[in-house]
Formats: sequence, C-alpha cells, structure tokens
Amino acid sequence: MATTLVKGTVQAIKEKGLRGFLGMLKEEGILNCIFDGKLLQTKLHTIGARLVGVDKFGNKYYENLEDTQYGRHRWVEYADKARYNASQVPPEWHGWLHYITDHTGDELLMLKPKRYGVEHKENLSGEGDEYIYHSKGHALNPGQKDWTRYQSWQPTKAQ
Amino acid sequence: MGLGVLASRATRLSGRGNPSRSLFYVRTIVTKPELQSPEASSAAAAPEPTPDLPPRTPLGGARVHFPNPDDAIEVFVDGYPVKIPKGMTVLQACEVAGVDIPRFCYHNRLSIAGNCRMCLVEVEKSPKPVASCAMPALPGMKIKTDTPIAKKAREGVMEFLLMNHPLDCPICDQGGECDLQDQSMAFGSDRGRFTEVKRSVVDKNLGPLVKTVMTRCIQCTRCVRFATEIAGVQDLGMLGRGSGEEIGTYVEKLMTSELSGNVIDICPVGALTSKPFAFKARNWELKGTETIDVTDAVGSNIRIDSRGPEVMRILPRLNEDINEEWISDKTRFFYDGLKRQRLNDPMIRGADGRFKVVSWRDALAVVAEVLHQAKAKEVVGVAGKLSDAESMMALKDFLNRMGTNNVWCEGNGPNPNADLRSGYIMNTGISGLEKADTFLLVGTQPRVEAAMVNARIRKTVRATNAKVGYIGPPTDFNYDHQHLGTGPETLLQIAEGRHPFCSEISNAKNPAIIVGAGVFEREDKDAIFAAVDTIVKKYGNVVRPDWNGFNVLLLNAAQAAALDLGLVPESSESIETAKFVYLMGADDINLDKIPNDAFVVYQGHHGDRSVYRANVILPASAFSEKEGTYENTEGCPQQTLPAVPTVGDARDDWKIIRALSEVAGVRLPYDTVSGIRSRIRTVAPNLLSLEEREQATFAASLKPEVKQKISSTPFKAAVENFYMTDPITRASKIMAQCSALLAKK
Repeated sequence: MATTLVKGTVQAIKEKGLRGFLGMLKEEGILNCIFDGKLLQTKLHTIGARLVGVDKFGNKYYENLEDTQYGRHRWVEYADKARYNASQVPPEWHGWLHYITDHTGDELLMLKPKRYGVEHKENLSGEGDEYIYHSKGHALNPGQKDWTRYQSWQPTKAQ
Repeated sequence: MGLGVLASRATRLSGRGNPSRSLFYVRTIVTKPELQSPEASSAAAAPEPTPDLPPRTPLGGARVHFPNPDDAIEVFVDGYPVKIPKGMTVLQACEVAGVDIPRFCYHNRLSIAGNCRMCLVEVEKSPKPVASCAMPALPGMKIKTDTPIAKKAREGVMEFLLMNHPLDCPICDQGGECDLQDQSMAFGSDRGRFTEVKRSVVDKNLGPLVKTVMTRCIQCTRCVRFATEIAGVQDLGMLGRGSGEEIGTYVEKLMTSELSGNVIDICPVGALTSKPFAFKARNWELKGTETIDVTDAVGSNIRIDSRGPEVMRILPRLNEDINEEWISDKTRFFYDGLKRQRLNDPMIRGADGRFKVVSWRDALAVVAEVLHQAKAKEVVGVAGKLSDAESMMALKDFLNRMGTNNVWCEGNGPNPNADLRSGYIMNTGISGLEKADTFLLVGTQPRVEAAMVNARIRKTVRATNAKVGYIGPPTDFNYDHQHLGTGPETLLQIAEGRHPFCSEISNAKNPAIIVGAGVFEREDKDAIFAAVDTIVKKYGNVVRPDWNGFNVLLLNAAQAAALDLGLVPESSESIETAKFVYLMGADDINLDKIPNDAFVVYQGHHGDRSVYRANVILPASAFSEKEGTYENTEGCPQQTLPAVPTVGDARDDWKIIRALSEVAGVRLPYDTVSGIRSRIRTVAPNLLSLEEREQATFAASLKPEVKQKISSTPFKAAVENFYMTDPITRASKIMAQCSALLAKK
C-alpha cells in the first residue's frame, strides 16, 4: 500500500508540477490531516474504497464492501475540510449514509418536492450570534416582544 | 366549596367503619361494593351508637342570630346537636354544624329554587333523600350528610348533570374555579354511561360584558333569580321544558342592568363568564390583592387579580355593610382603562406647544420656580375625584405653606360645607338603609350615582314595600317609586307640608332622606339644604337619637375625605384669577375658567382632559398601584393596597408633593406614609380608624341662618353616563363599548 501511495504521489507531481501538487494537497485537505486525526483516518479509510457519489455541496460518499466491518462500510468525506459536521449531509443522502436505504442520493433526488421543497441548509448554531435562534422574549432577538403592558399617553394633540 | 372538604368527607365515611384501615385507605372514585345496596348498609350502620364527635365549628365563621330565643330548635347533624332558630333550612342547619353541603342552585342571597338536587341529605324517618336547601329544619330532626344513601344520591345527580355537560374544561374560563369541576371530583364517576348525543344550546348575546356558552348551563337558575331579585331587571328567564330547557332573554336583547357582571360570579359553571377576561388568564396564575374600588363613592370592597404588571380582572369581596357580595359593572370592568392612556414620564410643554419628556429633577425645578414667581393669592390647588386622603393632606399642607388656602376637591362645589360632618355623609349608613321604610330622594339617581346603594334600596323596597319618593329629572328606577317633581319647589312644598308625600314621611317609622351630591354644584345649594333641614325638623322621626335619616349620597371616592380634611377654598372665585393651578388628577373641572396666562401643573395617571391645558405633567400612580385611604359616602375609611407596580417613571401622589415641597424650599415634615398619617391624625382622626364608621352627630341647630332664595331651576342629572365618570373609566375600551350599547338614551 505504501508503495502505491509513493508511486501515486510521484506521478501526481510529474503531472501537475510541484505547485499544482501542493495546491491539490491543500484542496484535498491533506494538510488538515496533520492536525485533524479524524480527517486523516477518513483519508486512510478511503484508500481502496468505491466513490458512490458526490452531492451538490461536494461531499463525497464512499462505500467499501470488502475489508471493512459490516455497518461501517459507508462514509462521507465532507467537502469542507476545516469545519464539518453531520448536518452538512443533505436529506437525499442521509438515508443511504445511515443504511436506511440502498438508493443513493442521486437516485433519491427526484423525490424532492418541486414546489415547496427548500434547499438544504446546514445547522449554523455556534457559527455566530446571527445564526442562533432566539425566542421572541430573548434580549438578542431583533424583533423582541414588547413587554410593556400599558399604553402611554401620546402628546399628539398639542394645543 | 373547597375540594378538600368534599374529599375529606368522602373519605371519612369508610374510615369510621374500619378505623384500623383508615390509615392506609386510598380513596377511589368508583362505586364501592357497600354502595351497591345502600339500604342494607345504612340499616346496619343505624343502631351503632354515635361516637364522641370532635366539636365542629360553623362554616366560614358563620354566626347564628336568634331573633327570638324561644324559637330555637335543636337538630342533629351527623349525630352532632346544633341549636338553630326556627325557619332555617336543613342546609343552613348543616352549615351551622360545620358541614358543607354540595350545592349548585342554592345561594344564600337569592330565593330558594331547589332544582339542582345536589344538596340531597338523608333524614331519619324520611323514605327518600331530601333536598336540604328547600327543606325547613324541624325540631329533633336527625340529618345524615355522609351516609351511603346521601352519597349515592348525589352521585346520581352528578351523573345526570354531567350527562349533558360538555367536556371542555381545558378551554373553559371557569376551569379552576368551577363548582361542577370541584364537586365532580368528590361525587363524579370515573366513567360515563351516557352513549347518546349531548344536548347543545345556542349561545345568547347578553352584551359586551357577559359571555355565554349555554351548552355548559346546568339550569340552576341562579342568574335568573339574581336578575329579577337583586338587579331588578326582568331580562333573563327560563324557556322550554325538559331537555329543551334553556336560559335566555326571551327575545334577542342585551342585559341592560348595571349589576349584570355579578351573574358571572354566581354562575356555578362556565355558562356565564366574563367577556373581557375570556381566554386571558387562568385563575391559579393570578395574584389577588384585597383593595377597594374608587369609581364611585360607595367604596365597594374588591379583589384585584393581577398577573405580573397587569390587572387581569376585578372581583367583589364580601362586605355586608357596603356592597354585600356584589359590585357594579363599572367597578368590575373598568380595569382595562388602567392600561391605556397612562402618563409615564414627567413632561414640560415647550415654547412651541409640544410636550417634551424631562427628568423629575427638571420638572420639579420648573414647577418650584414658577410657584415662587406667583403671588400666594394666585396659587390654586384642585384635588381630583380619585385622590386619596394622604395626597390631599400633603397638597393642602404644601399649599398652606406656600401661603394660600385655595385648595379643594372637585365635585364638592364652589362653597362646600365642611363644618358639619353630618351634612355631607350618609348618616344612616348603607346597610342602615335596610331599616328605612320611606325614602325621599332629592336630586339623586342612585342607580347611576351609586349602584350598590341603589341595590340596597331595592332590597329594602322588595323586602318591606318601603315607599320611595323621588324629586329630580325623569329617570329609570328598578323599583316602585313616586316621581314627586323635578325641581326644588316640590321640596319646598314638602317642607311646608303642602304635599301629599308629607303624610308618608310623618307616618313612617324610619324615614330616610337622601340628597344627591349633584346639589353641591348648584347656586342655591344652601337654600336646598336648609329646606331639607326644615323637613328634618318638621318631622321629628327623621332624626332621633336612635335613627338618623338625613343622608347625602356623594359621587366620588375623594369627596368625603376631602371635606374631612378641610379642603375648602378660601374664595369661590379663586380659579378665575389664578396664575398657578395645581391639578392633582382633577379632570372634571371647567378648564375654560382657568385664565390663559396661568401656569397649569397636572399631576395624575391618565392623559384625559386636563393634560391638554397643562404646562407640566407629573405622572402619578393609579389607585391599583398605591396604598391610600379613601372614605366612602357613609364615612367609612378604607384602604387600597398596591396590586401592580407603577408604570414608567410614575410616583405616588403624596411623594411627588413631598418632593416638590423640598425643591420649593418648604419641606413637608413627613417622609413616610405613617408620617403623613400621623399628620392626618391631628386633622381628621376618623380617617385612620379603618373600616369603622365614625358616626356624625347631627346638629341642625348649629347651622347658620340661610338667607339664600331657592331657585326654580330643576335638578339636573349628576352623572350623565354611568359607565364613564372618571379618567380611568374614560380611558377604558370596555366602558366605551358599554356606554355605546347599554347606556340609557
């Protein structure tokens, strides 16, 4: 395995040049692997796996039916290498990824309702105050509820 | 009726039979085996000698009054002997014995209907359970209230009542204070046997105050009896028979009584609920504050139910001497006015005529500066009709220190008589009116001026056929009366003995003369009071050592206390020449009289009328937000208590005047309410003996000779619109609706 990795690396440098190769490393998130063990593990896992599909966000869905434990044979490599989380998986791929169905996300895309189906959005909680839901009584809610329980007299009809 | 009482009685039954088990006894609502054959079990229980019972106290601290000690009879309630006067019902006997009987239709202020059958008890030697509310107690009667027969009978009644009652407690406004809900916890079954379709009844429109959900009605007819007996309107009635029976107004019309809100309280279920309160709150989230009402001079005892900073509703409180357990619609429903048109910041009118919000410091500094520029003679203070005694005391002290005595309370007229206390209070007392047998109403329409006094007169007229003579503009009465005339000349005729009503007064045992406070505003006020005095002197039975039948019916909550504290203007013309006018909530004075160059300070809680003339606005707290003493028309001082916090930057009235006095350099010597009360003690000590009527000694002989001529101008109605009389009620939307729909045109 190690030899194929080295061979592939050398071949890639030959094809793209050193600059292009480093750019690819960055894009693929190899540099992130240095500090992110989870990503590294996914990368290593991915070697020899079958790429089943790529969704519209760029997440890659892999399957390896041969030398992995059953139930751990489907996984996703997120498009965003730095800040990824499970809510980035769109609903059409969710079923496939969690073994609910064997239909891939691309096959299930047609099930999305045309008229009222909204675009999938990841959960942005924790990504900044503007993304956090505040109830209407919360001090940070921009349309905060008016808790004044009386109407004050307005001096409009000044003489 | 407390749920706990019912539940404990239900458990007591089996606990006595088997004391060892009672500790571990868990009460279930399902029918117990021993109840399957009640006759057998009661026969077995009968010979058992009654054990020594713990002494019982009458319900709610009730006291038994024996009009004639010889008429006392003894009955046994659950083996416990009680002495009661003759003529009491079985239910009343049980109450004296401390046993609460479940009931729906019985109400101790209404006539007995006996149609709900919930109060069934077992009486020895009676073949069937008897309805205790309608059964007179007989000597030696053995009443059993918690036998299996009684319980079984009540369970049967409850099942029939619940048969056609909708299961909508979660959306019912009565939920939590519903008699049916409470009693079904003790006598209801855990399952229904009714499989047919429930009856439904069309809702009736009773106007803007009472919401009806007639399907919930259990036909107790309390509302019908209340309307005909207490409110004196024949609006409600029973239509149809059997399952088609329903409460209605016969033809589509609104309930036009000034007491209609009370049917909400007496309805044992959620059939009649408050329309403004509908779906607003649940009764268990409300905080009750026991206070008094200030919308008229009666001072009805009320409970303000609040949630947080909001007044959610107003309910009556029992006070036998003043309002019994009723309140008028104005008292009950004006509370939404407390949330509208509120003054919440001190404001100063700028040079451009617009108000600008300023701080208290600036506002008080401006007022003090202008006050110092004005001459003492040109300073005038007017207390409003909702002012409490403390703030009026402070206002008078403050202006006296500024060198003027031109301070009065609106509604007392230009030249009030504050010297003789008997000349401005209701000497008979509101409850004392029940002893009267002839009424002479002079220029007063009690139905709109003081609805609770009117209810008392109606009660008297109904009970004893008392005669009522009325002098004043044609108006609406809900009892029999003679309209004697419209002007003071009729009064003169009576005083001179030339009127047929004279014989009624002279033949009466306890005649009562009620003069309306609207007379205070008349030019010939002294002459009218002199004429009344002549009547009093002429017929010796009006005022005697044991009866004082001379009454003045005041209009506003502040009037009596203002006169007690001596808020009397030095000269009646002072406002026309004023340079500085201090209006403490006075919205009903004639603003055109104030000269254009006068500086007007308005201190109050509502932007009503006077704010448009004001130069400085000082926000004060309303009666629901402060502790204040009010004296009602019979001279009974009572206190309000704060139920909700003040709005915005508002302060208590007396605190504003105290702060202003310090800024103006004439510091008033009191810093606390108790300090101001000890000042009141030196002026009018009777204002501090709360809930105690200080009798005024009548001294007609002390009155100076009156040289005024009586004018022939007929009496005017003192209250034009019953529903809108003061700043709070004028701000209320519900009161505006009422006056649009219900006020008599």
